[in-house]
Formats: sequence, structure tokens, C-alpha cells
Amino acid sequence: MPSSPDPLYAGLGQAVRMGTELLAALMVGGGLGWVADSYVFSTDPWGMVVGLILGLIAGVRNAYRSAQRLL
Amino acid sequence: MEHPLHPFELHTIIPLSLFGLDVSINKAVVMMFLAVGLIGGLMLMARSSGSLVPTKLQSLAEMLVEFIRGMIHETMGPEGMRFFPLIASLFLFILFCNLLGLIPGSYTVTSQLVVTGVFALSVYALSLVVGLKLHGAKFLGILVPPGTPGWLVPLMVPIELISQLARPISLAVRLFANMTAGHVILGVLFGLTISGGLLIGWLPFSFTVALYGLELGIAFIQAYIFTILTCVYMGDAFHLH
Repeated sequence: MPSSPDPLYAGLGQAVRMGTELLAALMVGGGLGWVADSYVFSTDPWGMVVGLILGLIAGVRNAYRSAQRLL
Repeated sequence: MEHPLHPFELHTIIPLSLFGLDVSINKAVVMMFLAVGLIGGLMLMARSSGSLVPTKLQSLAEMLVEFIRGMIHETMGPEGMRFFPLIASLFLFILFCNLLGLIPGSYTVTSQLVVTGVFALSVYALSLVVGLKLHGAKFLGILVPPGTPGWLVPLMVPIELISQLARPISLAVRLFANMTAGHVILGVLFGLTISGGLLIGWLPFSFTVALYGLELGIAFIQAYIFTILTCVYMGDAFHLH
């Protein structure tokens, strides 16, 4: 086994990684917003809207961070 | 043709119950035992000769140790070596589960979200515990990235909180989704081969063979990614920013 895997597969892994990074943050943001809406406050659509936007930002941030580590 | 998700169903082989908890033995449990047994057996065999001129198995094991050591040094620095046993077991277990699952008729343990989820959550919880123990209350500083202007702090804290909470989820979902999707595609293509018969079946069959090779690569890559991300999260707990 070399010190780092085959460049093709490493690139593939990186691509897959960033996709899930975006998705997971969006899920967490939207989920937190939804919980805040339906169980904590009764601000029906707005908690999820804000949560999704924050989740999107966080997801892009995470993907950006993992891209930065590559360089 | 059977349902594409049918191979992921688990059936109890030996029903067991411990203090009211269902601890029945099913195919996944058998595969996990097999993976642990294989890893332990191979490592003991590699160690048994102990000669100065390494045997084939011994040099493979030494290469593996070097590989994992390199991974830890890159992300955590030399002080991360005290987590070497954890990181090495995690890597070997996930790798063997992924590879054993590719044998036709066996079961891919890592295609269960429960398994990957428990791994991801416990690894993430450990990184939080390590961070809090090393840095105390200062560890909460990970919620405010360096160089944030004061007026942005109320916005950055929720964003960082979400991106931290997303870590275990993305870690678990990535491994689970990759293994499940790969096996579903292989299963569907092989089903097409059988229903296609000799006339057209060779076409999906050649895809099956090609994708099987890709899946072997994915099995390595996913084990590698899971482990290196574990190291990265641990490293973040070691060194704030």
C-alpha cells in the first residue's frame, strides 16, 4: 500500500466527500429549524427557512474547508 | 426479479436475549465476528515469525502500520500516536467489512446505517471529550473561527454549530450510502444479466465485472476516508485552529 492511495481513487473520494458534506449540513440546518418550529416555538415556516439557509452556508463552508485541506 | 434492497434485509439465525435486549445473532453479526477473527488471525500470523527478514505477510502488516502512522502524523502530529490503536482498529475493521461484503452471498455490515452511525457518533463524541479535556472552556472557541469581526459572531456561531453537528452525520451517511448504492447497482446489473439470457446478458454482465473492480477500489477509499476524517476531527480537537 502506498503512502496515499491511487490519485484517481483519491480524487473520486474527495468528490464524494464534498457532496455528502453539503447534504449533511443542509439536513442538520433544516432539521434544527423544523424542530424549533414545531416543538419549541410556533413560528411555523420561518425557523425552517432560516435553518435551511444557515445549513446551506455551513455546508458550503465545510466543503470549502475540505477543499482547502487538499492544497 | 427480486427487490433491489432485498439483500439488505436481516433475518435472525440464533435468537438471543440479554436483560430484555434483543441480541440475536444474524448474518451481519456473523460477518462482524468473521472480520474481527480474520484481522486478529492475520495480524497474529504476521507477528508470529518475528524474523529480521520479514515474511510476505509480515511486510504487508508493516506497510499497513506505516500507512496508518503516516495518516496520523499528517493530521494530528506526533502526539496523536496515542490514538494509534483506535485509528488502526477502525480502519482495519471497516476495510475488512467492506471487502468481505463484496464476496457474493455474504453481507456488507457497513451498509447498515446503525453500524456506521454508531462509529461516527462515538468517534465524534471522543473528539469532543478530548478537546474539552485538553482545552477546557476554551474549546468552545471552535464555534468562532479566528479573524471573525465582532458583529459577525451572532451569525457565525449558529453556522459553526450546524457545521459541527453535520460532521458525524456526513461521516455515517457517506460510508453507508456508498456501500449500499454500490451493492444495489451490482445487484440490479446482475439481475439484468440473468433475465437477459445469453442473447443480450453479456452486456450487463461486462458492466458487473467492471463495476466490481470499481467497488473494490471504493471499499478501500471509503475505509480510508472514514479513518482520515476521524484523524482530522481528532486533530481539530488537539490544535484549536
